Amino acid sequence: MKSFIAASGVIKIDRYYEKNLKTLAREALESIEKSYAEDLVPDTLIISSMTPELVDYQSSIADLIADHLGLRKIRVYRVEAGEASGLAAVQLAYSLTTSKASKRVLVIGVDKGSEMSVSRMAGVYGSIKDSEYMQLQGITPLAEAAILAKLYMKKYNYSYEDLFIWPYTMHQNSLETSHAQLRFRISPDSYKDSPVLAEPLRLLDSYPLGDGAAALYIVSEDAIERSSDAIVSIEGFGGSVDSKDIASREDPLLFRSVRESWEEALSMAGIERRKIKYIEIHDNYTPNAFIILESMGLAERGEAPERLENSSIEGVHVNLSGGLKARGNPWGATGIYQIHEVFQALLGSFKSSILGEIEYGAVHNMNGTGDSSYVIILKRVR
Amino acid sequence: MLRRSPAKIWRSRDILYRLKYATCKSCGKAFYPPRARCVYCGSQDVEYRYSSGRGVVKEYTILYQTPSGFGDLSPLIIGLVELEEGFSMLAQIVDVEPDKITPGMRVEAVLRRLVVDGSTGLIYYGIKFAPAEGMR
Repeated sequence: MKSFIAASGVIKIDRYYEKNLKTLAREALESIEKSYAEDLVPDTLIISSMTPELVDYQSSIADLIADHLGLRKIRVYRVEAGEASGLAAVQLAYSLTTSKASKRVLVIGVDKGSEMSVSRMAGVYGSIKDSEYMQLQGITPLAEAAILAKLYMKKYNYSYEDLFIWPYTMHQNSLETSHAQLRFRISPDSYKDSPVLAEPLRLLDSYPLGDGAAALYIVSEDAIERSSDAIVSIEGFGGSVDSKDIASREDPLLFRSVRESWEEALSMAGIERRKIKYIEIHDNYTPNAFIILESMGLAERGEAPERLENSSIEGVHVNLSGGLKARGNPWGATGIYQIHEVFQALLGSFKSSILGEIEYGAVHNMNGTGDSSYVIILKRVR
Repeated sequence: MLRRSPAKIWRSRDILYRLKYATCKSCGKAFYPPRARCVYCGSQDVEYRYSSGRGVVKEYTILYQTPSGFGDLSPLIIGLVELEEGFSMLAQIVDVEPDKITPGMRVEAVLRRLVVDGSTGLIYYGIKFAPAEGMR
């Protein structure tokens, strides 16, 4: 049994002070309805959201959104796996559709990252870490990423300026991404002059806080017969975890969760890595991007900054959306945006001038500093 | 954001105030905070001990974008500290100017105020690291 993505839709990631979680979810659904020829008749709704309790004092978000969307006779679930909630939700949709528990699943990722002050949102984001340990010390994933940056630069003999290649490439890529939160070029000077968040990392090494919502319509093999548009299948997926803190990892410069979820997904898809021509990775902080690429084996350890050329590494185009740096990172919705981008690329509707026709694409969605990772491999089947 | 109950802080006293860690009897490695299984080899044969609180700074960062509640202590110096029992942990480094910290600097655990809960007024304390005797 296989599972197919039939349609996707997103809203531009931005700061929407006038819109709540329900409104954003509805707009993501409307975005699908505009592009999809058939009526959406989901029997299941999965909401992927990281922070409604903390940002909006809202639990029970799945049935609330179902009600707001006017959906009835529908099973609802909410998936929360931190920043990686999106791909966890898609993997649940896969399991439901391949087990015949569901035929048509609507997955909506939604979060509001710009709702409160930066320090409040830093606390909200920091809540992904152990509340009895790192949270009480004020230690956030950003602080961990800064330490990783220093370890990485020292071990592999890079200067801070050498890291610029990643944010530069991401901001170039987002110029043509209509749903990206930040669409402007950056220069070495603007990079070095941006405010320090956690030395050596600066503002442009991080992701912008933003609100977003993205939706997918995932159908079973039975349902695809009546759906002429469904031509992309979920071929493989993987997921894995690592220690919650970088201090209790044998090798902090390798993300074990990335390596294991990537290998598991490739094994399930039964393909060689070289068949994948496009991947979106979860580059929440600059050093993490290089560590992710190296953990996937797309570069030797310590070589990712040198091997990246025109947003391509080892024959794979990476983060053509602009990634978390520039497209944005609305937490629980991020993985759904990433799937949307790769799905649309496989259809030839996203970055086709760069990619041409491709058969396989992949998405990597991660929580924190590799605390957990999920990978999904998509294939254009007709 | 904090709103932690006194019960939660009391429950956490072994890792907040006493640096309880775990040693794996199978692979010999130590880790913090303690878990029921070894984070390195997965063995359940672990035993719990208390650290001397003496260690060295392996790396550090100065965190300017601090979560709410930490504002009056900002910026925070966050260190990756290797304890003499062989485990590493993340913690704040205090009583030293950032430009005086170097990887390899010897430090020791001190009990300090971590954060004040703005909604209840509770003051939480915990372990930070200061330069060791002779390093100050």
